[in-house]
Amino acid sequence: MNVYLKNILRFCIIILLQVLILNKITLRWWSEPVGFPIFIPYVYPLFILLLPFETPVWALLIMGFLLGVSIDSFMNTAGMHAFATILLAYLRTNVLSALLPRNLSEYAGQQPSIKSMGWMPFLVYSSFLIVLHHLVFFTIELWNFSNIGFLMLKVLASSVTSMLFIIVYLLLFTKQSTSRI
Amino acid sequence: MRNFIFFIRRFFNLILFLALEIVCVILIEHTNTLQGNDIVSSANTVSGIVYKKQSDVVYYFGLRKMNDSLLNENALLRQKIDRISSVDTLKDSLVHKKIAGTDTATHIVKYADYLYRTARVVNNSTNASDNYITINRGTKDGISKNMAVISGTGVVGRVEHVSAHFASILSVLSTKQRISAKLKNGTNGFVIWDEKSPDLLTMIDVPQDVQLRKGDSVLTNNYSLYFPPDILIGTVVKTQALKKNGLQLIYLQSATNFHNLQYVYVIENKMAGEKKQLEDSSASKK
Repeated sequence: MNVYLKNILRFCIIILLQVLILNKITLRWWSEPVGFPIFIPYVYPLFILLLPFETPVWALLIMGFLLGVSIDSFMNTAGMHAFATILLAYLRTNVLSALLPRNLSEYAGQQPSIKSMGWMPFLVYSSFLIVLHHLVFFTIELWNFSNIGFLMLKVLASSVTSMLFIIVYLLLFTKQSTSRI
Repeated sequence: MRNFIFFIRRFFNLILFLALEIVCVILIEHTNTLQGNDIVSSANTVSGIVYKKQSDVVYYFGLRKMNDSLLNENALLRQKIDRISSVDTLKDSLVHKKIAGTDTATHIVKYADYLYRTARVVNNSTNASDNYITINRGTKDGISKNMAVISGTGVVGRVEHVSAHFASILSVLSTKQRISAKLKNGTNGFVIWDEKSPDLLTMIDVPQDVQLRKGDSVLTNNYSLYFPPDILIGTVVKTQALKKNGLQLIYLQSATNFHNLQYVYVIENKMAGEKKQLEDSSASKK
């Protein structure tokens, strides 16, 4: 499938998944201890994480902005998601080149995935960026530094859940039968 | 100049990044003002359409719950109307279940004789000669024999058998029972069913001199032991004069649609027991 068509489809699917399903689930810790934050898993940054390796940074930034603003318009949080997503898009290239053994230009026609990177590097790559995204987003959303512990707890819980959902998404939407190089 | 272009080309990504972040900060800032921000909000067209589609789908899953809540509200409203209409201006009617303190100045006693309960129809028949309707309420919900049953539009029947969780109602469409009824002008009679059609009831014992028009309503009267007064039974379709006794037959279009009955109200008359006891004892003395 054409890489543009594929990514446009993924853009729509991920936004609908986030807005129509995940936003309706408010997760609580199973025993609801006092003071434990409620949170929503944010899976949509996965779209930026899965763009092909050779995507230029300016394109990543613009797509991050579009994605963030779309999510913002659904959730009435003008700018907050966009801010965090642009930061994630900007740092993506640096994180990838730090993690991968070869230069990024040598991975032409591929995209970051468990298959092309291996389990460990991909999990490090995605969880680092997701935690960063959540940290920035929840910081802007709360904008209250009197209770750092609460903020950290919220970021941690939300990141763990988001990562679980991301892994499930990848396992569901990855072709298993294609042969490895 | 060349250096400036070189600088821009070299730091293009960083500049774009900072510019977009500034746009975001401006957006966030705008949202926090009183005017708000209409462009990036769920009030805009695209997200509005998506949310509309979603609620269209989700709406259907909530219909049953909504129906139930509407039904409960209706029962409550009926009870309220009953309380308003059941004002007894006689001083000595304290035997009724009082719902408000007696106003000593006017001697008006407000009482509520009827208790409404909602129920869902789980089985229904219209083609037997005695039609029964099963509902999902029983003795555990306070249903007992001989309580009156009405639908949102009119009379349905009377509870005949009760188990712990179900009750079966002998509907108006039965040759076994007759309901005392009245016309608009106060003439009393009885409504029976002649097995011809599940929509057609017959009212008997009405004198011929009563003038009726098509569409006139027939209501329950105050004599009934179980039904509250002024519940619609049906509307007049046609009349037929009987030569032998000077009475006329009135054919009624049933007010309740028995074909697609889904929800009913079961009415408990709290004074029925006392009234029946008195009537029975006076009848046995004769």
